[in-house]
Amino acid sequence: MAAILVLGLGNDILGDDAVGILAARELRAGLPEVVEVVESAEAGLALLERFEGRERVLILDSIMTRQCEAGTILELGPEDFGKVAAPSPHYAGLPEVLALAGRLGIPFPSEIRILAMEVEDPFEIREGLTPKVGAALPGFVARAKEVLAGWGDEG
Amino acid sequence: MKDKVKEVWNEAAGRAGQQYIGARRRITVDPITRLEGHGKIDIFLDETGKVERAYFQVPELRGFEVFSIGRPAEDMPQITSRICGVCPMAHHMAGTKALDDLYRVEPTNAAKKVRELAYNAFMLEDHALHVYILGGPDFIVGPDAPAADRNVLGVINKVGLEVGKKVISMRRRIREFISYVSGKVVHPVFGLPGGVSRGIRPEDLPRFQELAKDGVEFALFTMQVFQDIVLKNDAYVKLITSDDYTHQTHYMGLVDAKNHPNFYDGMIRVVNPGGHEVAKFRVQDYTDHIAEHVEPWSYVKFCYLKKTGWHGFTDGPGSGVYAVAPLARLNASEGMATPEAEKAYKQYFNLFGHKPVHHTLANHYARVVEMIYAAERMQELLADPEITSTALRVIPTHTPTVGKGVVEAPRGTLIHHYETDDRGIITNANLIVATQNNSARMAMSVEKAAKGLIKDGRADDGLLNMVEMAFRAYDPCHACATHSLPGQMPLALRIYDHERRLLEEIRR
Repeated sequence: MAAILVLGLGNDILGDDAVGILAARELRAGLPEVVEVVESAEAGLALLERFEGRERVLILDSIMTRQCEAGTILELGPEDFGKVAAPSPHYAGLPEVLALAGRLGIPFPSEIRILAMEVEDPFEIREGLTPKVGAALPGFVARAKEVLAGWGDEG
Repeated sequence: MKDKVKEVWNEAAGRAGQQYIGARRRITVDPITRLEGHGKIDIFLDETGKVERAYFQVPELRGFEVFSIGRPAEDMPQITSRICGVCPMAHHMAGTKALDDLYRVEPTNAAKKVRELAYNAFMLEDHALHVYILGGPDFIVGPDAPAADRNVLGVINKVGLEVGKKVISMRRRIREFISYVSGKVVHPVFGLPGGVSRGIRPEDLPRFQELAKDGVEFALFTMQVFQDIVLKNDAYVKLITSDDYTHQTHYMGLVDAKNHPNFYDGMIRVVNPGGHEVAKFRVQDYTDHIAEHVEPWSYVKFCYLKKTGWHGFTDGPGSGVYAVAPLARLNASEGMATPEAEKAYKQYFNLFGHKPVHHTLANHYARVVEMIYAAERMQELLADPEITSTALRVIPTHTPTVGKGVVEAPRGTLIHHYETDDRGIITNANLIVATQNNSARMAMSVEKAAKGLIKDGRADDGLLNMVEMAFRAYDPCHACATHSLPGQMPLALRIYDHERRLLEEIRR
C-alpha cells in the first residue's frame, strides 16, 4: 500500500462537484510510487477504509462557503472542522471518522490535508465545470503538487 | 385555503425559500461531510403560537433527464449509479432490469441468482450501517441522550468496542464481496441486459459461504442488541408507538409469488391502512397506479396512489398517501421467505399486536428483520449449485422501445423507466426514487412531530432532534443533492410567526 494517498472526492457528473475528481485525474500522471491517487464519491465510514494504514492523506474536494470567489482554493486540516456531531453516516464527517479510528485502534495517517476549491454550481447533473472553476483547475493541481513535493522533501 | 390566502401563502413560502437559499450560502466551514442530502424545515405558527403548517424541503436534483437524453441505454446502469454514492447498487440494479425489459430479454437463472446475491449483500451492509450508525444514535444511545453523545462514538460506548470492531469488519468483508462480484462497490459495472458480466468461481465459493454464515449470525446478533437495548426499554417502546410518530397510510413493497418480500424482483403490492391488498401490479404498469403531486413550496414530487387520488397530506384509507421502506415492506407482505427472518417477522407483529404497523419509528425494528432475511437469502443463493454456473448471459436481439425496472432499495421501491429510439438511444428517462415514494408521509411526519412538540411558539432544545428522528426513521436519501463541502448541515429548522416573521432558527 502506498504511504501517501491522494483522494479526489466528488461526483464527476454533478457539475462543479467534480473538481476534486478532475484534479486527482490530472495529478495522477508522473507521481512517484509512494503516492496513490484514488477517485471517490464516498463519505463517512468508507473514508475510514481508505485512510487506514496510510501515512499521509491529501484530500481534493469542492467546497461552498459563499464567502469567496469561485475558484479560490482553501486549505484546511481536520482541526478546522467542528467537533463530532454528525447525526448520520451519510453526513458522517472527517472528525467522526478520526475519532472512531482512534477508539477502535485503527492505524491512521499522521497528517491529513484538505485542498478544497470554492465552487459555483454543484447541483446539476452534467459534465463540465463552470468557467471560473474550470479556469482555476490548473492552479488547484499545481497547489496539490506543491503539497506532495513538500511531503517528499520531508521524507 | 381561499385563493387570495393561498397566493399570500405561496409568496411567503417562496420568500422563505429564497431566504433559505441565501442562508445556505453563508454557511461557515464545519465538518467535511460528504453530503448526500440535506433539508430544511419551515414551521409556520398561527396567532396563538401553535403550529399551523410545517414544511420539509430538500434541494432538488437538476438535469438528470437532460443528461440522459441522447446517451446509449446501456450506459444507464452506470450513469444512474453515479448519481448517488449512497445507493449505487440499487440504481445499478434497477437500471439493469430496465434494460432487460427494454430489450425484452430474460436473463439466465444463474445470472438472476448472481444479481440477487450481490443485491442482498448490499442490502445487508446498508441496513447494518443504518442500524448501528444512522439510527443508532436515536435508539442505541437513546433519544434523550445529550447531543454530544448522539453519534457513532456514543453507539460504540454503549455496545462496546468489540461490537464496533465487528460492525466495521463485517462491513468490510461484505464490501469486498460486492467488489468481487460487481467490479466496484461504489459504481458497479456488472449488470448487462440479459445477464451479468461475471459470476462466482467455484474455488471462491467456500469463503463467501463463510461470509454469508457470519452474516446471518451478525444479523441475529443485531436483533439481540436491538431487543436488549430498545425493546426491553418501556420508554423507547412507548416512544415508537406514540401518536406523534404514527400515520395510518397505505404501504407498498415488492413481493414474490407467496407475498413474501423480495428485494430483487417480484410484483409491486399495495395494502391499505387496514392491511388489505388494494393493488398488485408489474412495474410495467406503474403509471396506472402511481402519480406525482406537485406543491408550490417544494421541489419534491409527492407520489400517491393514482386510483385513490391525492387528498392532501392526510392519512386514512381515503388518502392516496403511501409509504415504502422496511416498515412498508413488512406491512405489504405476508411472512418472510427464510426461516429466521420469518420468526423475527412474527415476533415483530406480535409485539405491536396489530398489522399493519403504522409507527414510523418501527422502521428501525423492521430493518433488523430485513437484515436477517438478506443474510439468509445470501446463504441460500450461495448453497444453490447453479450459483457458479458460467451461463451468465442471453444476448438481446429485440429492437428497443420502452423499458422499466424495479428493485427494493434499502430506502424503498425504486423504479427506472427509459424510452429509446430503435438504436437504443435514450429519448426519455424517468426515475421514481425510494425517498420520493415516502415524501408525502415524511412531510406529514415532520409536521406532526412539530405540532406535538411546539407549544406557545416555543421550541425546546430537543425539538430538532425529535423532528429529525421522524424523518431519519425513513432513512431518507435526497442524494442525489450536492456533495460539496462543507455540507455540515443536514437540517435547518426555522420558525415563523403568523405574520411570517422569522422567530427562531435552529441548525445542526
